[in-house]
Amino acid sequence: MFTISQAAEYLGVSLNTLRRWDESGKLVAIKKDGGTHRYYREKDLEIFASDLMKFASEWIQDGVEFPGTFYCPTSSIFNARLTKMQNALMQKPGFEKLYSLIVLIAGEIGDNSFAHNLGKWPDTAGIFFGYDLAKGIIVLADRGLGILETLRHVRPELSSHVAAVEVAFTEFISGRAPEKRGNGLKLVREVVIEQPISLFFTSGDAEVRMQGADKVFNVTRGQRIVRGCLAKIEF
Amino acid sequence: MINFKKNMKLQLEKFGGTLISREFGSEAFKAFQPTLRKFSKDEKLEIDFSGVLTLSPSWADEFLSPLLNQLSDRLILLPSDNLSVHATLRILQEVNKRPFNIKS
Repeated sequence: MFTISQAAEYLGVSLNTLRRWDESGKLVAIKKDGGTHRYYREKDLEIFASDLMKFASEWIQDGVEFPGTFYCPTSSIFNARLTKMQNALMQKPGFEKLYSLIVLIAGEIGDNSFAHNLGKWPDTAGIFFGYDLAKGIIVLADRGLGILETLRHVRPELSSHVAAVEVAFTEFISGRAPEKRGNGLKLVREVVIEQPISLFFTSGDAEVRMQGADKVFNVTRGQRIVRGCLAKIEF
Repeated sequence: MINFKKNMKLQLEKFGGTLISREFGSEAFKAFQPTLRKFSKDEKLEIDFSGVLTLSPSWADEFLSPLLNQLSDRLILLPSDNLSVHATLRILQEVNKRPFNIKS
């Protein structure tokens, strides 16, 4: 059993957050013999922390707090955590060579969030970066401006999220001034098509789903409007 | 970092094993400029990728693309079996519309 302090450290949140989550039923604590002290089973914390997509989407939609272990406030912290993930992934059987392409994809998507929102974050700076290598899943998200807004600086004629995401993944943006814009997402698309890697990417109401045996690149209009960007990589 | 023989060799891993961000690629390029200024016009620069675990197009576009502009054919890339190096070089050649001189 973990005490509330140990649980707070494990999840990277404050004691008050854990108390609030207990009261709201989001993460219910155990109270021994009707006492007031809160305790947590390690297994319960592990399960709670494993729903990466839920944390990421609730954060970008509604600003809901998530375990701090997934938060990268700066590009340097993201790079450090990505390197740590890389070192673990290259040990995984079957990924001895493929690891570098998975790290490339996660790195490009995460770095894009920082590069395009530097000094422009609407509220919370930084990204959500969570992964579960046993399950083969990486989730990245940001509460930034989103693809349409950032691309409009170089392509003012863009009128929809779908068109903007299409451009981001397929076209080389020439004359990159005033903004340095990479071509990383084009490579992400190519690598996902060629390799046993799936990608779900959304920004605004645009969605990209590249999965299954017959992967094709296609941007569709989804049901909901997502703030910033959200990506799920599976392998 | 550098052996002053006929060709100058740069071990890219001196900048790190995981070369991902555009910002760090740009920093690396700036850091390398003083060395490059000592470089004579008939010398070639060989880039050695050994030890690099992941190379991304953002990092490489800030480092290798401007080097290619500066050195042209005098920039020589040594062969690598790393998949991210291959993929990144492929896209950069497409972006820059010119091939790298890759030693076979």
